[in-house]
Amino acid sequence: MSKLTSLPKEDKKMLNSIFFRSFAVFAGGAGATKAGASGFIFSVMPALKRYYKKHDDFADAMTRHTTWYNITQNVGTFAMGLVASMEKENSENPDFDTQSIAAIKASLMGPMSGIGDAIFWGVIRVIAAGIGVNLAMQGSILGPVLFFLIYNIPSVLCRYYMTYLGYSLGSTFIEKIYSSGAMKIMTKAASTLGLMMVGAMAASNVRFNTIISMSVPEGEPIMLQTYLDSIFVGLVPLALTLLCLYLLRKNVNVNLVLAGVLVLAILLGIFGVV
Amino acid sequence: MLVTQALLAALALFISYGGNWLIGQCMIERPIMVGLIAGILLGDVTTGIIIGASLEAIFMGAINIGGAISAEPASATVLAVAFTVTSGIDQEAAIALAVPVAVVSAFFSIFMGSVVMNIFAPVLDRVAARGDEKGLYRMQFGTWAFKYFIFASIVFIAVLLGSAPVAALINLIPANVMAGLKACGALLPAVGMSLLMKMLWSKELAVYFFAGFICVSYLHLPMIGVAAIGVILAVVGALRDKEIFDLKKGGTAAASTAGGSSSEEEEFFA
Repeated sequence: MSKLTSLPKEDKKMLNSIFFRSFAVFAGGAGATKAGASGFIFSVMPALKRYYKKHDDFADAMTRHTTWYNITQNVGTFAMGLVASMEKENSENPDFDTQSIAAIKASLMGPMSGIGDAIFWGVIRVIAAGIGVNLAMQGSILGPVLFFLIYNIPSVLCRYYMTYLGYSLGSTFIEKIYSSGAMKIMTKAASTLGLMMVGAMAASNVRFNTIISMSVPEGEPIMLQTYLDSIFVGLVPLALTLLCLYLLRKNVNVNLVLAGVLVLAILLGIFGVV
Repeated sequence: MLVTQALLAALALFISYGGNWLIGQCMIERPIMVGLIAGILLGDVTTGIIIGASLEAIFMGAINIGGAISAEPASATVLAVAFTVTSGIDQEAAIALAVPVAVVSAFFSIFMGSVVMNIFAPVLDRVAARGDEKGLYRMQFGTWAFKYFIFASIVFIAVLLGSAPVAALINLIPANVMAGLKACGALLPAVGMSLLMKMLWSKELAVYFFAGFICVSYLHLPMIGVAAIGVILAVVGALRDKEIFDLKKGGTAAASTAGGSSSEEEEFFA
């Protein structure tokens, strides 16, 4: 890693500036068709200003990046570093085809967002929330604090190194890790961990407790919940979660599923089940 | 008094929702963080944290991937905390009421982000064609302030006008329906979990979901413990997969490429 960041001082200054600017990449926006464009230009501005001293070239470069841009932002700095290196080449080599800059940027969006979403949203955020929610349910301030730290420490580190990685390694890198199989193995390992955490969270956050009981002529009434628990602890929450998954996988609209559970819970209340 | 609280609620939304996108999507727009921020501003931190945690569990799966969102829980969380603190309505009922708010808010959020903000597209083109650096900065942060000011204003109006009717409505609800509303808060996380599962699911890996479930329901492990076991299982699986991958390649040629790829991996992780 230290090898990665050992660049000339001027390069480091530029990349650090891109890294800091990238935090605000999706702050503003200009609607669906040019979403992310102004933030992307804002982020790579240090490179554009450094490499294009002539105002016309500078304006051309800005115009080149007014297209739709969307990559999960903590890995998207890779594209910014890469674009910086390509703009540098363009400014030095008159035969450079500027079309390739837009093409590379566009081709990175799918795979990079795929990796970023799976790792950051699917796994790290889930672990952070799993730990945070449990503590916060008891009203502890440690819950949100831990949630924030567990998510953001890896996120910021990744954002930083991705900037340098994009600048020094270039576009062939992503292809290489895809063909080496490392990406597939990593995605699978991440999903394993993610599913395990989701299972744990389903068990601790989805709760059901029925008040139905059968009165016995002599002695304590029999609680239905006790029977349910002796079959399998968390039977109803597990069944409900799997039912929701089944519906979602059948492409039932999520808002419909949400409404269904809402109605179900109110009906359970009205009929005195809960 | 209510005006002050409505202003504070609006500020809570602006800080969490707007701040999230200003500072690298650092997740302060998630209910668990919004609850804390709203709780601090409205003067009841514990209530804020608990409401935030409950809504986080429900909306865990509702995430913003590629601009497509199914729910926007930030304003719903602010409203749930505000109504609980200002009108003293039951926390569980406030959580159940927050759910439809989040869904409606998502539609509005998409409309705002994709349609309304289009009015700024020609500005961007003009600024870029002129090579106007300062203009671009104004555009990037001006649109930011505009967008989240609108969201915050809506929360302000909702708290100002909504507090009394919502409290009156809650008082009209009979006890058994109230029990149902409370059950909502306990059952709705199933939807959040299933949304996450859909993203990660494969037949081969399904068993790990059940492993995680049992770790909590029967073994009562804390989350960090489950995460640690999960990491171990993931590493064991990855090592086995790598071995199979290398074997499939076969021969001495594989040995060299495998060596090459593992050093790249190290670079990637280091």
